Amino acid sequence: MTLSHKQCDAVKPARIVVLGAGGFLGRRLLAACAATGVETAGLGSRELDLTAPDAGAQLGQWLRPRDVLVFLAALTPDKGRDSAALMRNLAMGRAVCEATRSVELAQLIYASSDAVYSFATTLISEDTPAIPLDLYGAMHRTRELMLAAEAKAPLAILRLTAIYGADDTHNSYGPNRFIRQALKDGRIALFGNGEETRDHLYVDDAVDLILKTALRGSTGVLNLVTGKSESFRAVADLVAAQAGRPTEVVPSARQNPATHRHFDVTNLMRAFPGTRFKPLADGLAATVGEIRA
Amino acid sequence: MKPTVGFAGMTHLGLVSAAAVAGQGFKVVCFDGDQALVDRLAQRQWPVLEPGLDELIRSNGARQHFTAAPGDLAACDVIYVAPDVPTDDQGRSDVTGLTALIHSTAAAMNPAAIMVVLSQVPPGYTRTLGVTPPERLYYQVETLVFGQAVERATKPERTIVGCADPARPLDPSLRAVLEAFGCPILPMRYESAELAKISINCCLVASVTVANTLAELCERIGADWCEIAPALKLDRRIGSHAYLAPGLGIAGGNLERDLATIQRLADSRGTEAGIIAAWLRNSRYRRDWPLRQLQERVRGVDPVIGVLGVTYKENTHSIKNSPAVALIKALTGYRLASFDPVVRASAEWHPRLTVADDPLAACDGADAVAIMTPWPLFRMLKPVDLARRMRGRVVIDPFAMLDRAAAVAAGLDHIVLGAPLAGDRQ
Repeated sequence: MTLSHKQCDAVKPARIVVLGAGGFLGRRLLAACAATGVETAGLGSRELDLTAPDAGAQLGQWLRPRDVLVFLAALTPDKGRDSAALMRNLAMGRAVCEATRSVELAQLIYASSDAVYSFATTLISEDTPAIPLDLYGAMHRTRELMLAAEAKAPLAILRLTAIYGADDTHNSYGPNRFIRQALKDGRIALFGNGEETRDHLYVDDAVDLILKTALRGSTGVLNLVTGKSESFRAVADLVAAQAGRPTEVVPSARQNPATHRHFDVTNLMRAFPGTRFKPLADGLAATVGEIRA
Repeated sequence: MKPTVGFAGMTHLGLVSAAAVAGQGFKVVCFDGDQALVDRLAQRQWPVLEPGLDELIRSNGARQHFTAAPGDLAACDVIYVAPDVPTDDQGRSDVTGLTALIHSTAAAMNPAAIMVVLSQVPPGYTRTLGVTPPERLYYQVETLVFGQAVERATKPERTIVGCADPARPLDPSLRAVLEAFGCPILPMRYESAELAKISINCCLVASVTVANTLAELCERIGADWCEIAPALKLDRRIGSHAYLAPGLGIAGGNLERDLATIQRLADSRGTEAGIIAAWLRNSRYRRDWPLRQLQERVRGVDPVIGVLGVTYKENTHSIKNSPAVALIKALTGYRLASFDPVVRASAEWHPRLTVADDPLAACDGADAVAIMTPWPLFRMLKPVDLARRMRGRVVIDPFAMLDRAAAVAAGLDHIVLGAPLAGDRQ
């Protein structure tokens, strides 16, 4: 189970439509699409409420035949972790499925999440069973299954690990929150001593891979991860070093056992040979620089 | 008087096994229905590459006779049916050809002779054959190892014989053949013998998987598996011949077939065999170790990679599940040059692949070289020569074919399985 390409070389699609265009990732993706000269259109929640009962029909009217539809829209955990958020997210998925039945798309790219995986004691690859541990992960997995079963379009599922970069509005534990804490308070608060290891993907690297997926007409499943996990402590230390002001990294009493997550990126290397990820230190420096500017 | 022994099926297993029996002084009739193959065999054109095979058959002289006439088997007291059994990509055996050969052999053999199925079969196969009376039908475990087949066939550690009823004495003719090899003979039920072969391979895979798992950890924590493995081999519970060399996953098709068989049996009989999936997962992961190393280390525009070795192991023509072929196919976006002493890489594997005439020519201008098959001739390569011919410094050498000190002295980044990495983690 991995990604396969319809085209050997990059081919510009007729148009790329981004759902969730108002979000952190959507804005960057739209800009990158435009930079390649591809006609683009973005839909945010202001233009179209994907949870509305008639959202599928409305979206269908927006779309044209041979569009590539990139489905980024989601209520992220900072906007709700409960079943109400889950059901609203699933309603969005249903609307997308419905829309694809009214127009023949060239491709549907779904931005899923590595939250579909549990914390395993082995490397995670696309072959690892998707066993989500919370409603957010269950939401993404359910959407994946909905799209695979009901969407009428060649489907690429990209499971993104946590992304970071300037303009990120989420305040989840990790690089983005650490940067805010460092710049505002000169103090980064860790759970325990930040022993947990996670994969952190710079937003422009994520955008680059999503765009490549569109240009190659790819289908299948791929984890968008760097393959290099770092501890939150290491991330915090890097942020503190880049903050431009004295910043204290503050541990706390550990409440829960530390968990780790490492990825096998072999399939990504096969799908997109030569992919280079921005090193974490460079990505954090760029993010801090953008925010300070 | 020594019994006359027949072999039906003159591919890898049958040819080598027949030569080994003839080497013990028995007259051996080597039958295959393919007249063209028999003609080639008569001209000493062997279909497989096996060290020592030509010499052995030469020394057998007239004792080993090749024929395409099934009637010649009527003179045999013991007939082995030994064609190679093909497997598909899922590791499933196709026993259609074997079954047909068993039936045609049964029709041709002397009614007093005994039949021995030597080809590997799934558990339960032999008892359901019904081609001869049970007391004259045996299954014998083959332990063919590509590249070491003659050594294994002429000096077996033991012989495992599946019988309809192990309480009955072995047929005297068969016993005479087996005793000539001077090793323990272990009669057991058909089903036990059939599973014994798979059990052996499972133990080997388990050992290799342990080595692979710990070797990768060595690479990350600064340990060296080469230092650890000898200590393990001195432990009597592990043993000096244990399969502890890290590799690029299992390949060749035979081990994969046995693991697939266990998975199917466990699935159908409701037994727990999750560890098989873990072994297979580890195998696939380790197969791609060179790809990860190259992706991590090779930069620049339009890089060139030299690939030394194409076969799945040394001393064989086989490329079944070869890590080298997998690597070549995965290196889209690179220019490749390859060399293998017996197999020519196919242009179908990669659009920008050239085939070199010698190993150093495959290294010319390369940004990195991967030594994918441990052919002995690659041990003769001097790192300084590689360094002189290459554009880059990276040598992926999973099996440590190059002298490590000389490689470092030549300025090469010498990357070896199970050895500490010089730079950051892969």
